[in-house]
Amino acid sequence: MSSISIQQAVKRYPNGFEALKGINTEIQAGSFTVILGPSGAGKSTLLRLMNGLETPSSGNVAVGEQIIDKKNVRQIRHHVAMVFQQFNLVERLSVVTNVLTGRLAHRSWVSSMFYLFKPSDMDIAKNALSRVGLVDKAWNRADKLSGGQQQRVGIARALAQQPQIILADEPVASLDPISSEEIMQLLREICTRDQITVVVNLHQVDLARRFADRIIGMNSGQIVFDGSPEQLDNIALQKIYHKEGAEYESFHAALANA
Amino acid sequence: MKVFMLRWPTRNGLPPFGFVALLVIALLSLILTAPLVEIELERLGQSLGNFSEFIVNFMVWPNFDYLPTLGVKLLETLQMSLLATAIAIVISLPLGFLAARNATCHPVVYRITRDALSLMRSLPELVWALVFVSAVGLGPLPGIMALAFVTVGFMGKFFAEAIETIDPKAVEGVEAHGASWMQVRLFAMFPQAFPNLAGTMIYVLDHNVRAATILGIVGAGGIGYDMVMSMRLFQYDRLILIALSIYLIVTVLDRLSDYLRNRIIHGAKQ
Repeated sequence: MSSISIQQAVKRYPNGFEALKGINTEIQAGSFTVILGPSGAGKSTLLRLMNGLETPSSGNVAVGEQIIDKKNVRQIRHHVAMVFQQFNLVERLSVVTNVLTGRLAHRSWVSSMFYLFKPSDMDIAKNALSRVGLVDKAWNRADKLSGGQQQRVGIARALAQQPQIILADEPVASLDPISSEEIMQLLREICTRDQITVVVNLHQVDLARRFADRIIGMNSGQIVFDGSPEQLDNIALQKIYHKEGAEYESFHAALANA
Repeated sequence: MKVFMLRWPTRNGLPPFGFVALLVIALLSLILTAPLVEIELERLGQSLGNFSEFIVNFMVWPNFDYLPTLGVKLLETLQMSLLATAIAIVISLPLGFLAARNATCHPVVYRITRDALSLMRSLPELVWALVFVSAVGLGPLPGIMALAFVTVGFMGKFFAEAIETIDPKAVEGVEAHGASWMQVRLFAMFPQAFPNLAGTMIYVLDHNVRAATILGIVGAGGIGYDMVMSMRLFQYDRLILIALSIYLIVTVLDRLSDYLRNRIIHGAKQ
């Protein structure tokens, strides 16, 4: 269990684009937070700040008590796991080896030279795979699995790390509705049962409403909504998905159809 | 009225300017350089006679007494190329990582490694063999050194390019879980580059067998010495055996490499 606090985080890219315009927020340990927002709102950037895949141009991000900097970023990643939209598995490696890469932070580079792990690592990996229901696929090559299965491997890899926080960057964006449902349930269960803080970026409003403890809405680099799923009404949605210069009515119609 | 109903998929329907310019330059340079290297049809026609005369020389009964010696020499050639390839793989793997833009530890190291690799392959094996023969004396050792030297130059470059084409997503996936510099290279980069690397290794082995057959010319071991000597002494009954055996080895190796490549890229059949 670990909390995340973000203070005055600004992210400016070299081309001048400001992805985040001063974000202040606090994510409670053990909670399930969903970040909603249109593409380009800065959701991914915000999430990637939380494990140092991106560094803020100004402001700071702290995990637990530690403010992330260049020196401690690897140490912080020891207990912050990440699940990706495109799964980011090493496709040519077996499923179980992919899960074992979640243990690398705990292994020395000498043993990794020879691809060696401890028997206890193997047990952890097997356990993680049984949590996601893929023990029978352990020795298959990762690219032979379906999208939903690959994402479950991604989650098993995150679990094998025995993290305090799991960040999931649009984990269901490339999956069908049924797999999406399974993945969200899995993440929710991990949060509740293992007391792991989960932060998920989503595009699906209904999934956010059903699974989140708290929803953060973002639009063009700013937080425009922050509240419980019950508080996420149509007005809030309009704020989140508002486009510069877009017609109010057409937006409303699109929502009604959704 | 439109004369042509067909068009290229460009804005104005004409072929892209850059492409046309390149084609014109290539054609011009070909036309200009052809006289320089004396490509004359007349001369080619006249030399047909000489050529057929040389071919007729091969119509002899092979000298089978030579077979045992041939076997020993061939084995030496194969051993040389295997050993040189193995040594070169060990050396060029780490160099390949250093020479890949996405895996190197520092841009300066990247530059230096690249330049060192290009120096190594700037001269053919035969020239390096001459250098090493004068350094360590006659025999297979300078041959192996020369082969390994050039092979490192080639394989290091190929490895680096294989590593540069890998999918950065998997790298991020492993990195995000707290893996170290070395671990990221071993677990995310190497497995992805491996099929490409293996293809290169097999190709290089194939190439080295052929290269090793010629190194004997400068006294660097292998079948080359016998080949050149029998050519000079007009011992065509030996030469035909040597030529056939080299052809046989290269063909077998080619089949083998096709098989291995398929196995590596698509995995074992289940």
